[in-house]
Order: sequence, then C-alpha cells, then structure tokens
Amino acid sequence: MTAAVRRAASYLVLLAVTTVVAMPMYWLVVSALKRSDEIFTATPRWLPSGLEWRNFVRAWQGASFGRYFINSILVVLAILVLQLATSSLAAFALARRRFAGRGVILLAVIGALIIPIQVTFLANFITLKNLGWLDSYWALVAPFTASAFGTFLLRQAFLAVPDALEDAARLDRCAGLGFLWHFLLPLARPTVLAFTLVALVAHWNDYFWPLIVTNRDEIRTLPIGLAMFVSQEVTTDWNLLMAATLFVAAPMLIVFFVTQRYFIRSHMHAGLKR
Amino acid sequence: MSRAARLSPYLYLVPALVPLGVWSYYPLLFLIDLSLHRLDATSPVPTWVGLANYRELLTAPLFWRVLLNTALYTTLTVPLSIGLGLALAVLLNQGLWGARFFRTLFYTPVVLPTVAGATVALWIFNSNYGLANHLLARAGYAPVAWLTDSGVALWTIAGVGVWKTFGYFMLVYLAALQALPQTVLEAARLDGARPWDRFWSITWPLLRPTTWFVTVIALILSFQAFDFINIMTQGGPSNATNVLVFYIYQHGFQYFRLGFASAIAVVMFVLVYGLSGLLSAWFSR
Repeated sequence: MTAAVRRAASYLVLLAVTTVVAMPMYWLVVSALKRSDEIFTATPRWLPSGLEWRNFVRAWQGASFGRYFINSILVVLAILVLQLATSSLAAFALARRRFAGRGVILLAVIGALIIPIQVTFLANFITLKNLGWLDSYWALVAPFTASAFGTFLLRQAFLAVPDALEDAARLDRCAGLGFLWHFLLPLARPTVLAFTLVALVAHWNDYFWPLIVTNRDEIRTLPIGLAMFVSQEVTTDWNLLMAATLFVAAPMLIVFFVTQRYFIRSHMHAGLKR
Repeated sequence: MSRAARLSPYLYLVPALVPLGVWSYYPLLFLIDLSLHRLDATSPVPTWVGLANYRELLTAPLFWRVLLNTALYTTLTVPLSIGLGLALAVLLNQGLWGARFFRTLFYTPVVLPTVAGATVALWIFNSNYGLANHLLARAGYAPVAWLTDSGVALWTIAGVGVWKTFGYFMLVYLAALQALPQTVLEAARLDGARPWDRFWSITWPLLRPTTWFVTVIALILSFQAFDFINIMTQGGPSNATNVLVFYIYQHGFQYFRLGFASAIAVVMFVLVYGLSGLLSAWFSR
C-alpha cells in the first residue's frame, strides 16, 4: 500500500467516525432550533426553516433551571475548593516529608481510587440519613471532600520539585505551608489545572449521586433537573428538550474547547504513570 | 527535629484521610454488615439474618439475568471502545492534516453530561420520529424498536456507551504513542518493515502497559453503567437492560430492601475486583 492510498484510507475512516460522533450533536442543535411542527415530520428536516430562539426561553421557563444552575455552581465550587485544599495538603506530606507510615498511607490513598461510588452509595446514603443531611447541600458535597485522584496526581507533581529548592526556600524563612503555597503549587500549575478541569467536568455532569440524595426541587443540580424535565415532557416537545439539553451541556463544552491542552495533559499522566 | 515538625505531616494528611475513610473505606465494611441484615419496610431496624440475603440473591432468576446483561454489556463495550480508541490514536498519530480537529471532536462526547447524551439518544432512537429510523427507512430497511425491543435495547445502550467513552481511550493511547521511543520505530522503518508489521511487532508490544491500564478502566466503567439505562430504559423492556448498578438501585431505592441491595453491592465489588485482578495477572505474565 502506498503512502497516498494509506492516507486516503485514513481520512475515510476518520470521516466515518466523524459522522457518527458529530451527527447526534448536529441533530441536537438543529432540533433545538426547530418549530414544534417541524419536529414530527415524515422525513427528517436537516435544516430548520427559521431559527426558533424562543425554544430556549420556553425550555428555561419549563422548570426551575435558574435554580438548578445556581445549585450546580455552588456545589461544584465547594467540591473543587475542598478537594484542592485537602489534596494539596496531603500530597505535600506524601511527597515532601518522611514519617512513619507514609508507605501505608500512600497505598490507602491509591486503594481509595478504585472504590467506586456505585458500590458505596447505599452505605453512604444511610450514613447521611442518620446524620440528617439528606436532601441538603451537605449531602451533595460532603462525600467529595477529599479526592484520592487529586492527592495522587499532585503528589506526583510535587515529587518532581528538587529538594535543593526547598532548602533554599527554608533559608529564606519560607518553609512548610509557605513553601507549598509559594513554590509547590505555582510550579505544579499545569497539574493543578488538569485536575481541576477533570473534577469540574465530573461533578458538573454527575447524575448518579444527586439522584440518590436529593428529593426537593430547590436543591437539585442541572443534570437531575434536566432528567426530570425529560421524564415529564417526553413524547411531546423535543425541540424544547433539545434546547434544555444544550444549555445544560454548554458550560462544559465551552470549558473544554477553551482549555483542551490541560485536559489532554491530564491523560498524559494517566497513560504514563502506570 | 521538634515535636511540631514531627507531627506536621500527619496534620496535613488528616483533612484528606478522614473523608476518604468515612466515605470510601467505612462504607465497604458497613455494606458487608448491612448485607447480613434485613433492613426494609417491614423491618425498619436491622435484624441479623446471616447469609439469607446472599442465598436469596443466588437463587433469584433475575439476578442471573442481570449478571448476563452486565456480561453482555461489558463484552460489547470494552473491546469496542478500546479498539476504536487505539485505531483512531494510531491514525491520528501519523501527523495527518487536521489531526487536532479530529482529536477534539472525538473527545467531545466524553465531556458531555451523560444526561445530555441520554436525552439526545432518546430522541434519535425514538421509534416513530427518531433520526435513526428515518435513516434506515431511507436506506430501505424496516424501522427498529431501538429501546423497546428486548433483543435490541441493550445493544443500543452499549452503542451509546461506546460513543460516550471511546474518546477517552483514544487520548490515553495517543499520549502513550507519543511517549514511545522513536529510535526503535525509526530503526524498523529503515530496515524496511512495513507499517502493518511495524505496528504488530513493535508498537503493540510496547503499548502493553497502556492496554492493561485502559482494559481495567474500561472493565470498571462497564460495571458502573447506570445513567443511560436509568434515563433511557429504566432497566426495561422486561429487564432486558437491567444491569448490576441498576439492580442495586432498584432494590435499594424503589423496593427499599437495603439489606438485600447491599448483598448485591458486595457481590458486584468482589466481581469487579476479582476480574480486574485476573486481568492484571494475565497482563503481567
């Protein structure tokens, strides 16, 4: 096979996959902009006759999406701040200090990495119920106070900083937490960003946990709000459902397109550190 | 060293270790304990029942159906998403024009909320007006009941699952490919080895640790399947898409049989990590 043929074959495969990946997204956008009478047609309409922006307003008003947005932002922000704080402190100790039990603790952190919430959710649900925290912001945030993934990732990044730098900083009376704050975190910036983005997407998109612990509409997050909206509206206004889907997905899509290289970096870690 | 300096590492660790203990390790013990109790509407205070929940589980025909469904879902999604991820990573690693565009596009479903993916899929696979059946009709085929035919539904869910995750595996492979020692590949090229042979005799063996990593991750992910199922089929039609996590959820939160649901969760944990362990042993032969 010559290089030219190989290249043509490569593009053919890429285009086929592009069609499969992009078609649903295209259909999502087009459906969101159609009039209701253009939704149920005998043959698919690839383009809407006009751009029905009012769908977004009607969808927004169809459920408490404003409230869900605020809830999602509050919950995700709280989780990110907590995880960054607890992970960097723990990673600092694990990477830069010698103490009895370090190896065991590191193993425990890595072990927690593989205990999925899909296994633990029943037990955690009962714990929260006993605490009286169900159906509150606490229930949405508390189980995600720490991150085994973040701790592990930051430890790897902190390990790469030479000891000589810490000694020099200590001479300048910058030790302990000062060193973490003024040197380690800025030096590990790409890793910090990569972890923040992965955690942001995971928790913004999370459907499973909020489904388990929320019942009141006032504290629902966006994914749950959208799922409820879908189950109420189903079989009728697909254009409104698609419009709602778009504004739920849009924030993460924008974040992703703007910060792609950090996302890619986060996978470099995953792929190489094994 | 002062006492404070000796103690400080432990103080730094407490804020992370306490939540990990409370929300990851303690629940494992708690689940095992719960699974040995009866805790449901008729018995709101846990009553010790020994292995009765496990006995009931192993003799429930639905449990075996659920295991079979989970096995089919895993068998479909793991090789497909990894194979597709690897193939595309190799294609995109040739320095083709537009590679960055394709990389971004293929990764987009990964960052899309599952609820958004599920909603679009519900619309596309709608039996009467969905795009999928429109396209089939245009090609001259009869419509398919994508989500309501018990022989098809799990395949549809698996297809959506692959669509959502293969981009992740592609990116992990791409990172691994770019980290391969270029000298070896270059030497093979100079020796006149053809691309196909180069791949199978050099690249593929070198990618072994990555393949191990993605296989274990894909396996764990496939056992966690829930979101698409809960939104698109609720385990139906007639349990055709009822998989382990949904089964736990159903017993825990629809029938409020928490002891029984805990037994399923314990079995699932043992299964996932038993399989991951076997896989790891096989890969590190």
